[in-house]
Amino acid sequence: MSEDTVESNYSKYGEYSITDHLELSFPETSVKIERIGEHAFSYFREDSEGKIVEKMIPAKSNELKIEVAPIRPLNYPARRTGYVFLKFDKEIYLSQNSAASIFVHCPIEVGIFLIHDSNRESLDWITCNPLNSRFGLYGSPDTGTLCKYAEVTLATDFSDSVPYVEGVMKIIIENNLNSGQTVSKVIFPITDNSLYYEDSKSILDGIKVTLKKRAVVSIADVQTDSLSTDWAKSPTWEDSTANTSMEMGLE
Amino acid sequence: MTPIEFLQGLSEMEIIGGLTVLSLLIGGIIMAAGIIVAKIAKMIFFKYYAPTLPQDTAKNFGKIIYFGIIVIAFFAFTSSQGLDFSGLLVAGGIFAVVIGFATQSVVSNLISGIFLMIEKPAKHGDTIQIPDMGISGTLLDIGTFSSRIRKFDGTVIRIPNEKFFTSNIRSLTVSTVRRAEAMVGIAYKDDIDTAISAIKTEIQLSMPFVLRIPEPEFRVEELGDSSVNIQVLVWHPRDDWSQAQPILLTTIKRALDKSGIEIPFPQRVIWDAEK
Repeated sequence: MSEDTVESNYSKYGEYSITDHLELSFPETSVKIERIGEHAFSYFREDSEGKIVEKMIPAKSNELKIEVAPIRPLNYPARRTGYVFLKFDKEIYLSQNSAASIFVHCPIEVGIFLIHDSNRESLDWITCNPLNSRFGLYGSPDTGTLCKYAEVTLATDFSDSVPYVEGVMKIIIENNLNSGQTVSKVIFPITDNSLYYEDSKSILDGIKVTLKKRAVVSIADVQTDSLSTDWAKSPTWEDSTANTSMEMGLE
Repeated sequence: MTPIEFLQGLSEMEIIGGLTVLSLLIGGIIMAAGIIVAKIAKMIFFKYYAPTLPQDTAKNFGKIIYFGIIVIAFFAFTSSQGLDFSGLLVAGGIFAVVIGFATQSVVSNLISGIFLMIEKPAKHGDTIQIPDMGISGTLLDIGTFSSRIRKFDGTVIRIPNEKFFTSNIRSLTVSTVRRAEAMVGIAYKDDIDTAISAIKTEIQLSMPFVLRIPEPEFRVEELGDSSVNIQVLVWHPRDDWSQAQPILLTTIKRALDKSGIEIPFPQRVIWDAEK
C-alpha cells in the first residue's frame, strides 16, 4: 500500500468535533464514537488482535471534542519503562573527531485525547504495529535497563515518516574520540522527547549522541535535542521522569 | 483538710519498707506520663518521619522509640522510690538463667530479627521464595520476633525470624528481568532447526512480553529415549511472569502443531533377534 493510499484511507491526526457520531480508521484498528443520549457518548475500539475497548463518556454538552495525535511508543503491551532501544539496520561508522546527522524511523503509538477547555486528557491509545512493539534489555539482567526495543531503518528526511506506525527522528552523532567508532544502536529515555504531527505524518525531538572519553572509559552521552517546527505538538500524558539523558558503554 | 495536709497524710501512710502511698502515687504519675509521652513521640514519628523511611525500618524505629521512653520512665519511677535492686542481684542471677533457658527461642527470634533488619535480605513488598520451606509469596513485614509472607494463594504465613534468617531466601524482584524456561521433545525424524525456527517465530508473534534482546535461547538438552529434548529459555520483565511462564508451553505446542512437527509419546523399539 502506497503512502498516498494510506493517507487517503485512514483518519488524519488532529482535532475532531463530534455531535452525533464519528468513525476513525487506522491500520487494522477502528474507533467509533457515538452520542447515546443527553450529554453522553460511547467509545468503541477494536484492534488488530480482536481486542475490544468500550467506554462511556459523560460530557458537559452535546458536543464532544477529541484530538488524535502520535504519542511515545511506551504503552503496548504494558507501560514498564521510559527508555527506548533503537537498533539500526545498518551500522554507522564515524572516523575520529567527526560528526554525522542521520534521520531514523522511530516507532510511535496513536493517542486519543479528550479536549476539555484547553486541557487534553488521555482517553485511549492504539498501536498500529503490535508485532514490533516489544521489550529489550540493555545491560545485564540484574542491573540493566529495560527498554522498548525496535529495529529501525534510516529515513531520508522529516517527511519520510510511516503514517501511524513510525515517526522520524534526527540523530546527531559526534565522535570526539581519537579512533573510528561504529554505532549500531542507541538507548535513551524518550520521556523528554516531544512529538509533532501534520496530517498523518509525525516527527520527534531529536537526540545528540556524543562519543567521548571520561577518565579512561569511552562512553556515549545521549542528550535530547529539541526540535523547532511549525507542526502541531502532540499532547503528552506519560509521567515525566527525572532522567533526561543516558550514558551507554562502548563495545 | 487542705490539699497540703492531705498529701502529708499520704506521705505518712507507709505501705511496706518505707514505700508510702504518696511516693507510689508520684511513681504512678511518672509512669503514666512516660506512657503518654511515648505514645505522642511514636505518633509524631509515624506522621512526620516514617513516610520517608522503608516500612520495616519505620515500624522498628517506632517500637524502639515507644519502648525506649517507657523504660526510661520506669527507671525514673524506681529512682523516685529509692528502690534498691542490689538485693535482687543474687536471686536475679539464678532467675536469669531459668528465664534464659525458658525463653531461648524467643531471644533467638529477637536477635535474628535484629540481624534481618540490619542485613535486609529482602524488603517489604518483595516477591521472595524460601526453597527450604517451599514458600513463595510477597514479604509483608519483618517484625521483632517473626516475619509474615502473603502466599500467592492469598493466605498469610508467619515465619519465626530464626528460621527465616537461617534459610536460603530467593528474591524474585531484584533483577530487572527474569527468565522463563520450558522443555519440549521432538521426534527424531524432525529437523531440529525447523522446530527451533517455528517456536521462535510463534514466540515473537504471540508473546508480547518476551524480550527481543536477549533473544530467546534454545538448547538441545538431551537425545532422549523417545525424543530430542530442546530447552527453551525466554526473558521477560520481572513483573510479567504470568505473561510468560504459564503460556510458554502452550505457545511451543501451537508452533510445533502448525509446522507439523511431532511431539512423540514415550516409545520403545523391540528387536526380535530370531527374525
